[in-house]
Amino acid sequence: MVEARNLMYMFYGFLAAWLIVIFYVVMIAMREKRLHDELDRVRRMVEEREKR
Amino acid sequence: MRLKVIYALSLIASVLLAFNLYKVFMVLPDEVNQGAIYRIIYIHVPSAITCFTCFFTAMVSSALYLIRKDMRFDAVAAASSEVGLVFATVVLVTGSIWARIIWGIWWTWDPRLTSMFVCWLLYAGYLMLRRAIDEPGQRARLAAVLSIFAFTDVIIVWKSIEWWRTEHPGPVLSIRNGGGMSPGMEAPIWWNYLALVMIATVLIMVRMRQEDLRREIDSLRRWAHAL
Amino acid sequence: MTPAGSIATTAKRHNPPVVARWARGALAIAVKDLRSELRSKDTINASLSFALVILLLFSFAFDPGVDTVREISGGLLWLVFAFAGALVLNRSYSRELPNDCLDALLSSPISGAQLFIGKCVANWVLLLVIEIVCIPVFGVFYNVRWTSHLGQLALVFMLGTWALTVIGTMFSAMTVNLRLREIMLPILVYPMMIPALMGAIRLTTLLMAGTEISGDDLIWFRLLIGFNIIFTILGVAFVEIVLIG
Repeated sequence: MVEARNLMYMFYGFLAAWLIVIFYVVMIAMREKRLHDELDRVRRMVEEREKR
Repeated sequence: MRLKVIYALSLIASVLLAFNLYKVFMVLPDEVNQGAIYRIIYIHVPSAITCFTCFFTAMVSSALYLIRKDMRFDAVAAASSEVGLVFATVVLVTGSIWARIIWGIWWTWDPRLTSMFVCWLLYAGYLMLRRAIDEPGQRARLAAVLSIFAFTDVIIVWKSIEWWRTEHPGPVLSIRNGGGMSPGMEAPIWWNYLALVMIATVLIMVRMRQEDLRREIDSLRRWAHAL
Repeated sequence: MTPAGSIATTAKRHNPPVVARWARGALAIAVKDLRSELRSKDTINASLSFALVILLLFSFAFDPGVDTVREISGGLLWLVFAFAGALVLNRSYSRELPNDCLDALLSSPISGAQLFIGKCVANWVLLLVIEIVCIPVFGVFYNVRWTSHLGQLALVFMLGTWALTVIGTMFSAMTVNLRLREIMLPILVYPMMIPALMGAIRLTTLLMAGTEISGDDLIWFRLLIGFNIIFTILGVAFVEIVLIG
């Protein structure tokens, strides 16, 4: 009985740890995408202004 | 080149972690008093040591920034503090889950838990401070000083189980003269630490690349407005 | 008196040793801050009113019995002082912003460290004044006898207040030029303060309950003293970097 609860919480523990790290990696990936989009936008803006 | 390093480290880390996971779950016996739940130690403790390593890196970087005024040190400090905060979160969460089983409560205000929580708050405050300042030089300078101040709490967290009687278990690792774990059971902690440090390094490197990207965007934007 | 003797004493009078000069500079800043505060009294009034109101509110909100009060006395008092102190500490450097007073101070012969210690001393005195007023009020409203072990209590309050002051003044310098100054200061100061606050609260509760500090509890004293020393040194070392760059 206690054993089962024990095991369950242990899995929760490992799960929680992995979820936190994965959540952070996802955040980084989203930020990367946002930065790339902004970089493209700014590069286009520079090209436009240079053409003028 | 850097990308190759990132991939290589990730691969090694994954292998290490997989091997350790196998060892932790299949090979090691249950601990006498705690049953299966004690295996959380193999995430909880390595995360904690990784977290402190990251914050130590941030402090050294901050000090180097103040001495050399090289913005790359500022980037390292920012990235390590962020990654350190992630691992600090892991420590607090895995610790509470463990505590729920062993002590019956999710949390208690003993010196170690309190100082660890304070550590979390301080580095979250560090990230907020960085967000609040727009000018890069001022941001780097103030953040560097805050990082050095915040590290004093890391020292308190580390030493808290020696200075006070805490509910948190006392020193057991061999490096702390605790002698509480048999070598066979302690080894996976250090292997996991190695894996986690590699993961932390990968994350820091990725994060630093993003800081470089941001700097490039800022300078391009300034150029665009100048045209 | 021989001529040599009189020359020596004259020389000493016109060239005081470095430490005395340094202390005089810091003291000048402290006196300036205190004098300007005493003339306008706005910060100390606001802070004192805030502290008294919180004390009153707590007593309405909880209506604690005698034993409960003894257990929470330290926490209650120090929370009140931490909140009221934030008002004082926020003003510490921000009062120099109008008319570029801060720039004038920074370009004066006074070193950053003297400015820092001077402001710390001024804030410390202000906070102690607030505490000296609040503690008897607390004693009356909550029916607590606080006069036993008065010497140790005074020491705890002086040390705890210095901890609060040194951290608060340092972070006040750090946040003075930020647009989100009022919110960043509490966010940074309160976590940093927690070790010293825990010690001060623990010791105050013990003293208010009538027990003397001894044995195990001495570690909290050591923590307070260590905390004060370390953060005073850190503050003095870094304040110039923070203010000037």
